[in-house]
Amino acid sequence: MNAPEEMDPLDALLREQNTYIDDGGFTARVIAALPQRRRHSWLRPALLLGAAAIGAALAIRWLPWESLPPLDLSALLSLDFQVLTPWPSVLLVVVSILWAVMAAVQWDD
Amino acid sequence: MTDADLIVRVLSREDQHAFAELVRRYQSPVRAFLARMTRGDTHLADDLAQETFVKAWRKLHTYRGGARFSTWLFGIAANEFRSVARQRKDLALDEIEESQAEAAQPARESVSQLRLDLTESLKRLHSSERAAIVLCCQNGLTHEEAAQVLECPLGTVKTNVLRGKEKLKRWLSGYQDYERA
Repeated sequence: MNAPEEMDPLDALLREQNTYIDDGGFTARVIAALPQRRRHSWLRPALLLGAAAIGAALAIRWLPWESLPPLDLSALLSLDFQVLTPWPSVLLVVVSILWAVMAAVQWDD
Repeated sequence: MTDADLIVRVLSREDQHAFAELVRRYQSPVRAFLARMTRGDTHLADDLAQETFVKAWRKLHTYRGGARFSTWLFGIAANEFRSVARQRKDLALDEIEESQAEAAQPARESVSQLRLDLTESLKRLHSSERAAIVLCCQNGLTHEEAAQVLECPLGTVKTNVLRGKEKLKRWLSGYQDYERA
């Protein structure tokens, strides 16, 4: 509660100014502006999640995991292109899938 | 019928009549709050209020019932105001220089004139102080509820209310007489 302010005459003056605003058709305008709710609001996130799952499965199946060069600190520091080149593509695929999963989970109509 | 009953009807049956009843109940405080925040631009305030209720309709499933429904609505309204204020410099204006405010105040006598002065003085406040005062002193929200609406720490709300009221008292030349009466 905001007890200390309740004794203040300024509060009484402020509260006095808080007069009722007549509806004047406002509610009708709001109702006319309401969008149709999507009955299947789960459909889009479900599709996105499904697509992400398929993407993940394909990535696991088709990405050349065995032939990926090991990534360690010395490889990073040496800037050896043969070692570094495949990794951005892998990273891109993984980030895309994670992004799709997060978008599906946080989906908000 | 309580707010909770109406919300259940909206969520379970997409009942627009139930939502209309909620709009009717809260249109006045929401429009008044936004009119204060837009410094009396009632057309803009009504547009923002309409958008507030449309967003409430869309996001009603996210209302958890922990806070009062009015507090939740004020939160959406405050967000709507913030997003417009970011684009419009006239709304984002900080408080008018104190010296200007005082110079603009001729000596006032009657209480009705004091009320007019109060309306004008509220417009001069910094928007964060104005929001805190309108929510806590005019709409009866607790400091905690106002902090939730304005998405700021509790201490900031308390400071803004106190600082805003000090300024109002200073700017209202007839306030000392009113206080004594």
